[in-house]
Amino acid sequence: MNYVFQFNVVWDHLPELLNGALLTIQLSAAAMALGLCLAVLCAYGKSAGPKPVRWLATAYVELIRNTPFLVQIFIFYFSLPAIGLYLSANTAALLAMTVNLGAYASEIVRAGIEAVPHGQVEAGRALGLKRLQIFRSIVIFPALKTVYPALSSQFILLMLSSSVVSTISAVELTAITSSLQSTTFRPFEFYFVATGLYLAMSLGFRAVLSTTYWAVFQRRGVV
Amino acid sequence: MKICLRLLTLALLVAVPALLVAHPVRAESTLDTILKEKKLRVVIDVANPPFGVLDKSGQPDGSDVAVARQMAKDMGVELEFVQVPTAGRISALLAGRADVTIASISVTSDRAKAVMFCNPNGALSIVILGPQSVAIKTPADLVDKRIGITRGTLEEAAVPKMAPQGTKIVWFDEIAATIQALLSGQVDAVAMTSFAGKTMEDGNPDKKIETKLTVTTAFYGPIVRHGDFDLRQWINTWIFLNTQNGTLAAIYKKYTGLDLPPLPVF
Amino acid sequence: MARGFEIDEFLYLLKAIPWTLLLSLGALFGGGILGFLIAFLRIVPSRPLRWLAIGYIELFQGTPVLMQLFVAYYGLAVLFNIQVGAWPAVLLAFSLYSGAFLGEIWRGSIQAIPRPQWEAATSLALSFPKQLWYVILPQAARISIPPTVGFMVQLIKNTSIAAIIGFVELTRAGLLMTDATFKPMIVYPVVAALYFILCWPLSLLAQTLERRIDANLGIKRHL
Repeated sequence: MNYVFQFNVVWDHLPELLNGALLTIQLSAAAMALGLCLAVLCAYGKSAGPKPVRWLATAYVELIRNTPFLVQIFIFYFSLPAIGLYLSANTAALLAMTVNLGAYASEIVRAGIEAVPHGQVEAGRALGLKRLQIFRSIVIFPALKTVYPALSSQFILLMLSSSVVSTISAVELTAITSSLQSTTFRPFEFYFVATGLYLAMSLGFRAVLSTTYWAVFQRRGVV
Repeated sequence: MKICLRLLTLALLVAVPALLVAHPVRAESTLDTILKEKKLRVVIDVANPPFGVLDKSGQPDGSDVAVARQMAKDMGVELEFVQVPTAGRISALLAGRADVTIASISVTSDRAKAVMFCNPNGALSIVILGPQSVAIKTPADLVDKRIGITRGTLEEAAVPKMAPQGTKIVWFDEIAATIQALLSGQVDAVAMTSFAGKTMEDGNPDKKIETKLTVTTAFYGPIVRHGDFDLRQWINTWIFLNTQNGTLAAIYKKYTGLDLPPLPVF
Repeated sequence: MARGFEIDEFLYLLKAIPWTLLLSLGALFGGGILGFLIAFLRIVPSRPLRWLAIGYIELFQGTPVLMQLFVAYYGLAVLFNIQVGAWPAVLLAFSLYSGAFLGEIWRGSIQAIPRPQWEAATSLALSFPKQLWYVILPQAARISIPPTVGFMVQLIKNTSIAAIIGFVELTRAGLLMTDATFKPMIVYPVVAALYFILCWPLSLLAQTLERRIDANLGIKRHL
């Protein structure tokens, strides 16, 4: 079989692909921010909350971590309307990604919380601080610092998993690539270049996350 | 001198067989390969009623599936189905995953640039469908409505041309997902073949889905890769014979309920 | 008339599970061989070889699984002119993907072995390969079991992505059944539940093993 490669077709559509990459970045960044908040909340609930809260958090984490992301987004987009909850494709994608990241990240954050030397917490209690105050002022910062590498990996995984939201018609890089390849009949060329774009985004995200680490955690001196 | 002679002989011993192998009297065509290995690989889409569906026991069925089965039988070879999502029907063929795609590929000049059409074996029309509550009477009514369309289909090519600016087109990778989007209310209307629409209507009488507009009509036929002239010619011959003996009309009637219109030949 | 979601439809879902498991186990096997090679390449004294391994890992950890599948599915026939079915293409893609992750896990296990073990092996006049085989690997293998089991869970979930290119495993079976019954509210949660049944026991196993093996080796639980 003779296949003639035509990468020039991809070159003609490069602006659209780059737009798709931008959409992926926006979607992922929003999900990272929201997911991290959810994770911190969930980790706090799991380690310091009352029993029903702990049980709920555990159920949430186990449910999300043992089911595929693809099935989760199908449920958010196709199944929820049956009970009256209509989410647009991009909203459903964002929500699903947030919920997904929240579950994985909460375990990571929880490990970080448990790694904070207990002496610090006791000192806080001795100073008369309440539980929430201790959490906010003493625990969360060093906890996040310790687990930052693990969190970064999870963030990158989240950005990569955003590629499957194209199946529920959310618009990002994979969706745009699929549309382009089906109208130009050049699947290999387009998917190859899209893969390269994702790789570039991974490396880019990693660089940004490292810089953030330095800016937030290291410049402040010893914590 | 002796060394030169030896080298020359060696070169000839290598070059002549190489040339013979590199330029065979006739290159093996796809049809030759199919007949030699006794296997025909066909791309089908089982999420595209009534051309391709899954029956109760999970086996492929549908009008194009039936055509493929008859074709393989008449060719005297074994049949292998390559199931792909709607968006991949043409790409999979181009990537060499199959010998022919029999999945209601409508004839368009854009597609003809990438693949070779065989003579059509059926006709379809693309319509816009939606629930009774959504008011669409003219193309202008499409503005601000979310219209679900499947990638890699005739509607992908046709609808953006007739839909005015302001129509929100929502893309899915397969007809099954587009149908689900309409039924779950995620889109206001969808564009697909009238047949798929009818299956959706029949299966959900409570949703009161009706045809709003007809976008275009087309003939569809099997497609092969550029250069597979022998295979195309065989398929065209087969279509001619089965049009004459009424097999194609019978299959079409069975799955669509309609009479097969006169099929053009090109 | 739409079919209801009855026993036939549920059986169709169940019949797809062996494909999910077969794909996961096949990828584990193929990826295992690759991972062993990659882990080895990551620790050899030769710099170019190390970089080769690092490049491979970066590639497969920095691109979405969906893209890897697309490229394998469309690229094999086009690049190498070999006609393979969907199953070998998908298996190859998942094996390459697993190889990268398993390689990193196993490298981590090898590097977790304390330095004195290596020194003791050297003092016994063992060559590098023999040190690995007789002293380091048996210990590293034990440490690597919990994260490998954890990765198995990831793999089972990631096989769902093969649904997008049309491979019939559990998730695609769910999509097809939803198309036949028009009941996403029932089908997708059932699919999620089936994945949960497959994955949760493995997750629990991984957690139990992690606690036991850590305790046995007396290695402090690092985050």
